[in-house]
Amino acid sequence: MNSRYEELKNIFVDIVDNSTYVELDSTAYNYSVLKSSLDKPLKMVLLYGKPGTGKSMLLNRLYHELKEYREIHYFNSPILSEKEFLKSIYEAMSGVDIPVQMRVNFDALLKYCLKLKEQREVVFLLDECQLYSEALMEKIRLLSDTRVVKFVITLHKTDNEDVIAKEHFKTRIWEVIEMSNANEYDMELYIQKKILSKGLIDFFKTMKKSHFKYIYGHTLGNFRETNKYLYTIFDIYEYYEKNEPAKIDNKKFSKKILEMAAIRLGYINA
Amino acid sequence: MRKLEELEHKWFNYKIKTILMPMVKVSSLYLVAVSLYYVYDKKEHLFSSVYAPSHHMTKVLGVSMESNNSVMARVVQTEETKQEEIKKEEVAPSVSSSLEKVSFAPVIPVIDMEKEERVHHVKKRVKTKRKHVAKSNLVKAKANAYLTPKELGVMGKSSAKVVSVQKPHKTKKMHFTSTRANYAETIKSKFSKSNNPRDALLLAKLYYKKNNFKEAEKWALSANKLNNSLEESWFLFAKSKVKLGKKHEALKILVSYYKKSNSTKAKALIMQIKMGKI
Repeated sequence: MNSRYEELKNIFVDIVDNSTYVELDSTAYNYSVLKSSLDKPLKMVLLYGKPGTGKSMLLNRLYHELKEYREIHYFNSPILSEKEFLKSIYEAMSGVDIPVQMRVNFDALLKYCLKLKEQREVVFLLDECQLYSEALMEKIRLLSDTRVVKFVITLHKTDNEDVIAKEHFKTRIWEVIEMSNANEYDMELYIQKKILSKGLIDFFKTMKKSHFKYIYGHTLGNFRETNKYLYTIFDIYEYYEKNEPAKIDNKKFSKKILEMAAIRLGYINA
Repeated sequence: MRKLEELEHKWFNYKIKTILMPMVKVSSLYLVAVSLYYVYDKKEHLFSSVYAPSHHMTKVLGVSMESNNSVMARVVQTEETKQEEIKKEEVAPSVSSSLEKVSFAPVIPVIDMEKEERVHHVKKRVKTKRKHVAKSNLVKAKANAYLTPKELGVMGKSSAKVVSVQKPHKTKKMHFTSTRANYAETIKSKFSKSNNPRDALLLAKLYYKKNNFKEAEKWALSANKLNNSLEESWFLFAKSKVKLGKKHEALKILVSYYKKSNSTKAKALIMQIKMGKI
């Protein structure tokens, strides 16, 4: 049987899974905008923000919610080879597996798409698009021009590169959704929902406002950082529970462990 | 397990740091505040020590300016005092400017014994009040080319009286050894070297006291030729003329000087001559 702290630790393992999705006010708004944009005659939708702001999670949730109702395909990891990318697009649209030695001709794919005009609308969700080459992005643009294929792409927002200004996005992206870190209230809600999802209400009660404030002070509301921090906290808890149980008080959230986790993650320079 | 022990150790160090740092900051702030207070306090002391002598100087100079025609004015003229002036200029420019004013005022080596007495009384009072003030800050009379008031005061009197006059003013320090015989010669040789109208005036005064009115008239005229703004030269010249029986001429000279200067002293002397008091 898993210990309580092991269970808590596993809640905060950073995975993109629809079952672990936590709906917050800010994410709910972004999700509704994203969902409604698919019904509009847009060629492309851009979802961008800093790493850990929940872009992949939102994309994943969209896929799982809509996969039963419309033609939607989710490429959770970038396909960097052009040959593989075109093959995957064709396979997804046609439902035919292409033999390994065969390749998809881009012109033929365009013609195939044009034949399907006003008959079908296929949505492709592409994560981590900042890794795609310029040439591949150009092909994505041309495919979206057929209005048979619609792309929802996610990009990391970087300080040096203004991706929206890029030519192939400037003229085609009609919907831009910017994702940002959670505020203090949303972050507390996020932790609360995660812990309560496993029915560990007693433990949640030991956490005070000051603890959430402390966590927010280090993670700044970034979901990935929050997951990492809480995972480390419960990892230390688990160790004490197994090896030195006298050092932890189950009725009181330990500030010492909170600080130790911050030291381990380098938030504090000790 | 070992890693967590290390982490615990790091946390312990961190806690010590977080507890000690505010204490160190507070204590260092306290130290800074105390040292600032000390420095400020010291500065105040310094200011007081700088201003005290200059204030004293102003007082002394005030006296010297009052007795413009007295020995104090002469004292300021000497080279040593000029050096002091330079020193004080560095400390307090206001004092130096007042010193300049004094040095530019006409300096006549005429002794007014009453004023001299007053000056010494003031000096004494200042000395007793400011015993703690360094001696270098005081204006001292020193050996110079001019005769001190006491020496001049001694001239027409007996040697017994000289001792009695010298005692309260402690002029023994000067070691002045001139006699009645060589005094006039000394001044004359000095005048021949310096061509200073005040030396001539001194001789005029000396001869007038010795009832040698002819010589007095001669030396007063010499002084007046060199510097006609010396009031005393006009007076001595006129008084000598009167003594020589040239009352009309004396009055003429004094009236012309009175018209020029509007001096009350000249007017008083005219009245005295008219009344035959001289």
